[in-house]
Amino acid sequence: MAEMTLRQERREARRAAKRAPKHKLTPRKLAARILQYLVLALIALYLIFPYIFMLNRSFMYPADIMTLPVKFFPPKLTLDGWVKMFEQNNYLLYTFNTLKIVCFNMIAVPLSASVCAYGFTKIRFPGRDFVFSATLATIMIPGAVTQVPLYIMFSRLGWVNGALCMTIPALFGGGAVTIFLFMQFMRGISFELENAAKIDGANVFQRYALITMPLCWPIILYTVISTFSGGWSDFYGPLVYLKSREQYTLALVIYYDSINTNVAMEVANVRMAAGVFMSLPPLILFFLYQKNLIEGIQVGAIKG
Amino acid sequence: MALTQKKKRKIQNIASGYLFICPVLLGILIFTYYPAVSSFIYSFQSYDGFSKFEWVGLQNFVNLFTRDMETGTVFANTFLYTVITVPLGLFLGYLLALAANMKLKGISFFRVLFYLPCMIPSVASGVLWRDLLDPDFGIMYQIFSFFGLHPTFFTSASTAMATLIWTTTWGCGGGMVLWLAAFKNIGPELYESARLDGANTFQCVTRITIPMSTPIIFYNLVTGIIGSLQVSTTLVMAGSTGGRGPDNSLYFVAVKIYNDAFVRMGQMGYACAFGWVLFVIIGALTFVTFKTNKWVEYGENHG
Repeated sequence: MAEMTLRQERREARRAAKRAPKHKLTPRKLAARILQYLVLALIALYLIFPYIFMLNRSFMYPADIMTLPVKFFPPKLTLDGWVKMFEQNNYLLYTFNTLKIVCFNMIAVPLSASVCAYGFTKIRFPGRDFVFSATLATIMIPGAVTQVPLYIMFSRLGWVNGALCMTIPALFGGGAVTIFLFMQFMRGISFELENAAKIDGANVFQRYALITMPLCWPIILYTVISTFSGGWSDFYGPLVYLKSREQYTLALVIYYDSINTNVAMEVANVRMAAGVFMSLPPLILFFLYQKNLIEGIQVGAIKG
Repeated sequence: MALTQKKKRKIQNIASGYLFICPVLLGILIFTYYPAVSSFIYSFQSYDGFSKFEWVGLQNFVNLFTRDMETGTVFANTFLYTVITVPLGLFLGYLLALAANMKLKGISFFRVLFYLPCMIPSVASGVLWRDLLDPDFGIMYQIFSFFGLHPTFFTSASTAMATLIWTTTWGCGGGMVLWLAAFKNIGPELYESARLDGANTFQCVTRITIPMSTPIIFYNLVTGIIGSLQVSTTLVMAGSTGGRGPDNSLYFVAVKIYNDAFVRMGQMGYACAFGWVLFVIIGALTFVTFKTNKWVEYGENHG
């Protein structure tokens, strides 16, 4: 009883506070606020400074890089590293190789995952739950188990040293996690809509393409973006499957150029320019769609 | 008549259902289950380096556990890495989430900055870290020596692992995002009534925040264990040593399997055996985590 009145009092107090003018900062509150911003800025500075350093160094002359003490800010700006990356090291070719794989998957993954998720959520048929459990179980099997037989299979098909090893599998469901995310989303779409379309004579393909898919655009967007950044950054797949330099993706060529004593890559400004160039697309997408991306990660974590 | 129509619709449902799921059905059979079964068979065979496998029984496993000097090293390294990075990531993610959860103007800008390192491709950040920690012109040496410290980072076996773990802390924005989602699920009235009952901040954290966030902690634990047991980032981080680090101090299970399977081409059967051992360990750890998840509280029976 006493608690009730206390709560009520608090509520009253809060209401009163709302009515009062907001920008009345006492010196103590102001100091606290400044301290809070200072803490945030320090953390941000700590987490970001390596990447600022990478950006700065990509615009420095080799002579300014190979000095002690190390310079954080470029004394003179130059595009030397960027020009060498594209002219001597031919990085446009590897960018194109990467985009070939990534663009195909950006269409294939959401398409095949949504088709399968539609079958799992909107159609009732015997064996459905069993196939779904078998799909989810694949998450448990590490890549280390399947990679050798997959490699042998792909080499028998003549796919090794080409993009097919990394594109064709995307046509087959796009991964259990993606299907699961699509299913979570489709479960939220009411059956009434589906039934109304059924009564109007729409067949199952029309219901998938014209009723369900247009409502799924947030999860489609999420899948397209995460497929892009996953494929763009993928290093292990190309490392295993690509053998000749003209087939390399960006991630692979940066890796090999940085460990081999390649002439141009020995200079840090070229290496850093390559690092910045590779980080740009995922970062731009992240800044544009951060809300969508972070929500997607959170939904996957909470419901999964 | 009505019955046949019902039957017809049922058959139609089965046909269209399997038509819709056939991509994933074929996909898991061709790209997961068939390779898993063949990998199991290969693990009892030895590969001649060209195209033929020969039956050797348990020899691969015997070699793995008794003869291969690297086995102990890679498992010790991988476990050490897992045992430290998973809780550390949770803890730092929590601290970061506390900072990012303050009610301030422009807080979402800071959240974006905190998460930014997670968006950098691993190859790019690997190349960057090797430059930052370069023994000749690396800025980290300069910063540390400014404070009177002279670390050896990746150049010495005794500090390589600690250095690698230190670099993973830049990814704690990933943990932050999950904690923020957990915070959002906890209503403010819980804290208010706890405060009224005289609870201090520490009690609020241990009695409300952590119990209410156990599903997230659990998820993080499971995916963190599975992920870090398979980590292969040292291929880039310690690229000049083939992903081994000085004196194999950064040699991980996944890197060893890669080396056996694809660098030393004659070891494919052995690599499969190693993969299966890793799978059994991951499976057992996940099983134990799920079995002991009584501390995970689902639902809102706390309010």
